[in-house]
Amino acid sequence: MTPVRPTTLLLCLLPGVGYLLVFFGMPLVRVLVNSFSGRGPQTEVFTFTPWITLLTTPVYLDGLRFSVWLAVAPTALSLLIALPLSALMQANETSRRFFGSLYRIPLVVPGIVAAFLVLVMLDRGGMASRILTPLGIALPRLVRDEWGLGAIIASSWKNIPFMTLIISGSMAAINKDVLSAARTLGAGRFTILWRIQLPLAQPGITAAVLLTFISSLGSFVVPNLLGPSYPLPLSVHMYTEGFTKGNWPLVYAMGTLLSIVAVGVLLTYYAIIGSIGQSDAPKRAGA
Amino acid sequence: MAIGMRHSQRTQLWVSLGLYGYLILTLFVPLGVIALWAFYDPAVGWFPPDIVPRSFSLSAWGDVLSDRHILPSALLSFFVSTVVTLLTATLAFPTAWALAQFPFRLKRAVEVFVLAPMIVPGIVVAVSLGEIFFGLGLAGTVQGIILVQTVGTLPLMIRILTATLEGIPNELILAARTLGAPPRVAVMRIALPLAWPGFLAGGLLNFIASFEEFEKSFMVGAPQVQTLAVRLWSYLGGEILVLPTAAAVTFLLLVPMLIIFFIAERLMKEDVMAAGLGKL
Repeated sequence: MTPVRPTTLLLCLLPGVGYLLVFFGMPLVRVLVNSFSGRGPQTEVFTFTPWITLLTTPVYLDGLRFSVWLAVAPTALSLLIALPLSALMQANETSRRFFGSLYRIPLVVPGIVAAFLVLVMLDRGGMASRILTPLGIALPRLVRDEWGLGAIIASSWKNIPFMTLIISGSMAAINKDVLSAARTLGAGRFTILWRIQLPLAQPGITAAVLLTFISSLGSFVVPNLLGPSYPLPLSVHMYTEGFTKGNWPLVYAMGTLLSIVAVGVLLTYYAIIGSIGQSDAPKRAGA
Repeated sequence: MAIGMRHSQRTQLWVSLGLYGYLILTLFVPLGVIALWAFYDPAVGWFPPDIVPRSFSLSAWGDVLSDRHILPSALLSFFVSTVVTLLTATLAFPTAWALAQFPFRLKRAVEVFVLAPMIVPGIVVAVSLGEIFFGLGLAGTVQGIILVQTVGTLPLMIRILTATLEGIPNELILAARTLGAPPRVAVMRIALPLAWPGFLAGGLLNFIASFEEFEKSFMVGAPQVQTLAVRLWSYLGGEILVLPTAAAVTFLLLVPMLIIFFIAERLMKEDVMAAGLGKL
């Protein structure tokens, strides 16, 4: 690290940080401020109306609950599948090579294509029911169902490789001597997984869980195509209230609420691990 | 790997079955079904309980090629993603350099701010920028789509480049400076070439992220300007579900992504994405 003149530092930071200030920070502040504005020509300067509407209308409260559900459920399902996959990948070097390059394909598959895959597989008359019906197995309604199962499956499908990538990376970084020592001392495979691999991979697991939760919280296209017509998540309400009804203050109140949930979850995490405020350069990314 | 070798053949078999069973069930079968939809014969139809269509045709592809919207959308997507990738790399490099090499107060605050666009749901920024751009005449323009997509790609690029630049030994820069190179030259001739793997990996990831991006492009660009992903939505979410056309468009979206993906697989030595996101 070399000391640096303030002007050089500012000039270096300007392109990236400046861009984000203008095209991310400013719109975000605008969302917050305008969530307290009135609607129509004789606009009040400051009002709580959008917030009162948002927090007292059952449709929007159900929307908030559904948004959180569509974030929690895929996160739990993805973790349930990604953990065993990551552990299996540690157990077998040869299959990891080939599997390791293929399982990531959903990472580059657009979310809308993931929704389409679920549609052709799990919708009524889809491939799954064509195969299972002759066997006497009837599938429950999975697309446009009230629990949003189709949306949860599509969102998990997209997030499992992402989680597996980060978690298996953390597991692979565990010193092999520690694992050998545990085996020598008589630990079985599950003890090693439970007592050593999972705790040591915990930062990666938490990061993967948080990012999955947050990216699912505001997803629009998947619930729009696969979700039920009621309840609708807040992201879909934001689109219809804004672009079709023009009720922007309400849209911004919803946006603020979604952002608060996302940021709140992250801050809770920081509070638990107690790392906010410290610069953790050596621990960060890649190290 | 000592642990792996001590497993019995039987365990190896179960491990492989678990891994590849998952892969077949979740990846190959669904993609195969999409392929069947893209090549089935609409004149004959494909109804339950048939698992495979009774006859095949290229009619969906004929529709796609004769549709005057789809190929322009594909070209537009390539153009937008290329510009977004280049713009992102250009904007990210100086900032990543500062984060990697300079000690300064508020560094942690800058890092958190750079991370923020990955935390705040994309739709919030997309809707707000959509309304701002509407007032500025940028809604429904290609420039508007490029500007809004860059908000999504910039954070990951800054993180990846920062991680790459932190790995460059400071002695190299100092040696160049001692030998008389001005700071700018030292950066351009030493740091930039050494950061090449980060640029490559981050660039490929950004190209993919931009190509598949839906929400921001939809809120800012539609209906006047539609990227390929937005175009696919109109076949899936519209009044009538056009399955064969949607299946064909899906392949137009997927094939470039898969090609880039396999190039990236070959070029990347370690997991840059894990490096950029493994720790929040």
